[in-house]
Amino acid sequence: MDLGIDPDRLGTCVQCGLCLSSCPTYRVTGDETFSPRGRIALMRQVQLHDAPLTPEVTEAFDTCIQCLGCEPACPSVVPYGHFIEATRTALTEHRGSRKRAIALWPLTKPRLLRLGSTLLAIAQRLRLVPARLGLPRRLPLRQPPHRTSGTDVYLFTGCVMDVWQREVHFATQRVLEAAGFGVTPTGDSAGCCGALHTHAGLAADGERLTERVDAALDLNIPIVVNSAGCGAHLKQHSSHQIFDAQEFLAEHLDRLPDVTPLDLTVAIQDPCHLRHVQRAHLPTRTLLKKFVRNVTELDDDGLCCGAGGAYSVLQPDMSQQVRDRKVASIERSNPDLVASANPGCSMHLAAAGVAIDHPMVIIDNALTRR
Amino acid sequence: MRRNYRNRVWASVTSRDNALLADLQRVLGDRVRADSAERALLRRDASVFEGGDAGPTCLCETTEEVQQVVRIALAHGRAVVPRGAGTGLAGGAIPLGAPVVISLSRMNRIVDVDTESRIAWVEPGVVNLDLTKHLTPLGYHFAPDPSSQQVCTIGGNVGNNSGGPHCLAYGVTNAHILAIEVVLADGEIVTLGGLDAEPSGYDLRGVFVGGEGMLGITTKVAVRITPNPPAVRTLLLSFDTPRDAAATVSAVIAAGIVPAAMEVMDQRITIAVENYVNVGYPRDAGAVLLAEVDGLPDGVEIDAQRISDIGRAHGATDVRQAQSDEERMLLWKGRKTAFGAVAQIAPNYYLHDTVVPRSKLADTLEEVYRIADEHDLAVVNVFHAGDGNLHPLLLFNGQEPGIYDRVHAAGAKIVEASLAAGGVLSGEHGIGVEKQPYMRQMFSDDDLDHQERLRHAFDPACRSNPGKVIPVGHSCADIQSLRATPEGVWG
Ligand SMILES: Cc1cc2nc3c(=O)[nH]c(=O)nc-3n(C[C@H](O)[C@H](O)[C@H](O)COP(=O)(O)OP(=O)(O)OC[C@H]3O[C@@H](n4cnc5c(N)ncnc54)[C@H](O)[C@@H]3O)c2cc1C
Ligand code: SF4
Ligand code: SF4
Repeated sequence: MDLGIDPDRLGTCVQCGLCLSSCPTYRVTGDETFSPRGRIALMRQVQLHDAPLTPEVTEAFDTCIQCLGCEPACPSVVPYGHFIEATRTALTEHRGSRKRAIALWPLTKPRLLRLGSTLLAIAQRLRLVPARLGLPRRLPLRQPPHRTSGTDVYLFTGCVMDVWQREVHFATQRVLEAAGFGVTPTGDSAGCCGALHTHAGLAADGERLTERVDAALDLNIPIVVNSAGCGAHLKQHSSHQIFDAQEFLAEHLDRLPDVTPLDLTVAIQDPCHLRHVQRAHLPTRTLLKKFVRNVTELDDDGLCCGAGGAYSVLQPDMSQQVRDRKVASIERSNPDLVASANPGCSMHLAAAGVAIDHPMVIIDNALTRR
Repeated sequence: MRRNYRNRVWASVTSRDNALLADLQRVLGDRVRADSAERALLRRDASVFEGGDAGPTCLCETTEEVQQVVRIALAHGRAVVPRGAGTGLAGGAIPLGAPVVISLSRMNRIVDVDTESRIAWVEPGVVNLDLTKHLTPLGYHFAPDPSSQQVCTIGGNVGNNSGGPHCLAYGVTNAHILAIEVVLADGEIVTLGGLDAEPSGYDLRGVFVGGEGMLGITTKVAVRITPNPPAVRTLLLSFDTPRDAAATVSAVIAAGIVPAAMEVMDQRITIAVENYVNVGYPRDAGAVLLAEVDGLPDGVEIDAQRISDIGRAHGATDVRQAQSDEERMLLWKGRKTAFGAVAQIAPNYYLHDTVVPRSKLADTLEEVYRIADEHDLAVVNVFHAGDGNLHPLLLFNGQEPGIYDRVHAAGAKIVEASLAAGGVLSGEHGIGVEKQPYMRQMFSDDDLDHQERLRHAFDPACRSNPGKVIPVGHSCADIQSLRATPEGVWG
């Protein structure tokens, strides 16, 4: 079956295996089928040698978290991200894309999403929602509205995050304002960035959504994004100036007021899309060091936490094994708090009992002393 | 050279396999895999050699499980192949005759670290670099550091007696292994070597290290841990030609300096490496020498200066010293990922691994470039210059018709040239299936008989990783063992 991968690029993997340790699914299984090298070899077998799509082959592709930990580890600079995106798209078309398309459709309809979330919040209060779904522990019943304070930067509000973690947007906005920037939240007109669609193999839908974001916003105003997954997607697909929130603010560190640092040891858990895709994970350290007493690193070299957008729901077993490994690493570093700049990762780790906050929330707390 | 042991790409599970599978599943549950995807994937390691389809793959977690799997395989008349991370470059872990593959990657616990006696007990699936990272806060490391250390396993290091850049001063794997727990081919569990300074009896531990999985499967290893040096200096010297770099290396050793590491890369590979790490490797130098000295602060200062002087006397156009740990790590990251980085130049490589006397290094190198030219192949050279260990990489596109014959011919010429210069077949990657055909050039029939007898002492029925190292035709039992596999599962 043609997976739509450029055969020359597919040939760039020399099978050296140097990526194995950076792959969370290989780390927890020890099984070549769940490694980047194995997955690439299977893509070759399927695309170049017409190997059948057995359940094991599709499982190998489906269990990839798309964390891209394998990319920076690869000295041959194999563009694995392209391979797996193409493979997912081909598979989705092959299997029929209706189910996934329907599941992701609400993301494009903000009002519906908010209504759904309110219903969920009520259900939660009635104890009707099982904890294993990994939702935030207490969804908000009512959201205060966004406000605009100027046009120096956009704050990208997105879809699910705006409904479930709007307080992170508020915190980000306050920090940006403390640095003297007037902020316009993008709101419903720009909407969802399309990252989850693209990862689910619905590339065309993803592209359409990104185009909508681009069309809704002024090209001259930088867009600040506080969700690593959305930021990574927009950096790759949008024509606007996209910055991760920490990346943007670290450049303007001197504009942030000096305050007494919070008396906390904070371990940094880099979201994969910040570290491996945007490769912009260092600014988080620069920033946080100014606002907390002690910043520490985990000892697993930025291995994925297993959240992976919808992955934790679609592949709960593998996702939890990967999370267990991460939680063990966090326990070894024994911090007061973990900082993660991606809403999905925070929810996934919080569901395992990890005390975790967005770096913007931590900084906002230091600035406003709460 | 690309030995395809079977034509069908996808093998199915035969009825004979079903009985074997059922027995294995009783012990391991779902940690046995026998689907066509897995069996095809495990045909290869990091070398260009391709075995047949693997038999069932067993992801074992304990010594007892390994023992039971070995016994079940034996009862079904099947061979076993231990596999670590599959980064071997000589095809040591590829399956011949649809053997049961015993994957040790899940046996990855660091069992005990004793800094007082400088010993750590580890399971074979522990990743080399993970062990060193675990030891860093305690002030120690595991000295053998193959360039693949971020992924290769201690079991694989033992299997191949692997070396690494820093083995110049510290010695290869064998010097760092004290005792090994082994599951023999009949399932018996023995411990070879011991923790005393001078264990009594024959040094069977020393025999086992480098056994390439043919003497049994190691399930626990006592390794020596090495204190981190108080001071380190890393130098990057640029030269116009690889010859100048090689001459510098010889002169440094002749001057009585024992650097921790001395590594040379030629221009093309340096450029590819720089594209990946971006640390300022010179793109315009004909060759670079990465040299490291460690020890007490005063001593390393003096040695670094002397190496720099010797380099300049031999034509170094630039000498740079790493200014921070971070820069040092990046320089090493570049050197250690060099094999992988070649894919930027061509999609396939065939890496050779021979050793020549240091005095012949420069001449042999020129011969290597000439041989590649003659066969119309691109070649780059990266090597452990300090101990004369050459790693020429022949670069090619495997899709080109007839290319493997040319690569093979050039490879054979390179081995010949190294042997003619008084060298040996393998520096550190092992013999596997790669160097097997050359064994007769290096060893007499008598030598081979003795190797064969040693093998039989450990594994009389040749059930453990058969078909490797000892040349086909010399090892009757191996051939029998391969033939014994039932019709239809011949890999
Ligand atoms: C990019 C790259 C760089 C490399 N650099 C170096 C280098 O600098 N120096 C060097 O020496 N090598 C190097 N190698 C080769 C390879 O990494 C080493 O030989 C390594 O030790 C193999 O480890 P592994 O876990 O991948 O073993 P595998 O490839 O899985 O197995 C290697 C051999 O050991 C046997 N084996 C594995 N586990 C066991 C066990 N538990 N008991 C008994 N036998 C076992 C196997 O059957 C096989 O014969 C490099 C390889 C690559 C791809
Ligand atoms: S993806 Fe890169 S690192 Fe992984 S096996 Fe292929 S070439 Fe090596
Ligand atoms: S993207 Fe992540 S999970 Fe997928 S192969 Fe790469 S490292 Fe493994």
